[in-house]
Amino acid sequence: MKSVLATLALTTALTLPGLAMARPVTLTTQLKNYGGDGAYLAVYVTDPQGAYAGSLWMAGRKSKYYKHLTDWYRFTGGDTAQINGITGASVGAGRSLKISLDLADALFDAGYTLHIDAAVEDRRDSPNEISVPLTSDGAGTAVTGRSYIANFTYDM
Amino acid sequence: MKKTLTLLVASTALSATFGLAAWSGPSAPLYGIPLDAVSAGADASNTPSLMFVSDDDDEGRGWLRWLGDDDDDDDDDDECEDDDEDEDDEDRRKNKYDDDDDDDDDCSGSIDTPAPAGTVAPPQNGLFGTDTPPQVQVN
Repeated sequence: MKSVLATLALTTALTLPGLAMARPVTLTTQLKNYGGDGAYLAVYVTDPQGAYAGSLWMAGRKSKYYKHLTDWYRFTGGDTAQINGITGASVGAGRSLKISLDLADALFDAGYTLHIDAAVEDRRDSPNEISVPLTSDGAGTAVTGRSYIANFTYDM
Repeated sequence: MKKTLTLLVASTALSATFGLAAWSGPSAPLYGIPLDAVSAGADASNTPSLMFVSDDDDEGRGWLRWLGDDDDDDDDDDECEDDDEDEDDEDRRKNKYDDDDDDDDDCSGSIDTPAPAGTVAPPQNGLFGTDTPPQVQVN
């Protein structure tokens, strides 16, 4: 009995830090009815110094169009290794994109910023359409986009 | 001696019978063309031969060229070719892109095509707390 309790305590102690290092987050992006084709969206994060930290999602599969996501492309050079396993279809006008993922706890309240670049065929490219600091207080607060995104929210 | 002669005559007769039949008999078409026509053509020309049927490098030579040469590019090196390059050039001039997002022209194995979500783990960029791929819903 004693050994069972010891084992349980040990596994709990080993598991809890892992759980505490990640938190489930939902990113919701509502597009405007801009009347055009599907939008390419690059969701990525910069660190407190403004340097590229990594990508969270790419909506749009064709790499030849990534150059229109100008800020993301400038940071990454269009390196598709940055978005392997986190790429999906482009998002139609008026649609809502909801992404559920586990984010590292260290990203919050530490000066990191989430960005979204957007691009639509026959329309002006829209880099940094969304720029929102990742903070605990900012969760659930809608942020308005400039061109194609009606609003963006992250919930924890 | 008589027995030997009889066997010799019989074997000769058999050989002549089958040999003549095989020599004059073929009338089945070759690739849809009667062999008679092929033979006649071969006799009437100096250079054409049946080799041309499978020799598609000799374009424009020989009357049997069309049998084996369909002008297809058989080198199989165009699987990754972009079939809308002209459109792409136009798009580049207009600084736009098309929305053909159906992936049917993707070249599998291309290093320029990112792996779709769910096929590989998210990148190890330190942003993801676990290896669980993001779940996406579009409404």
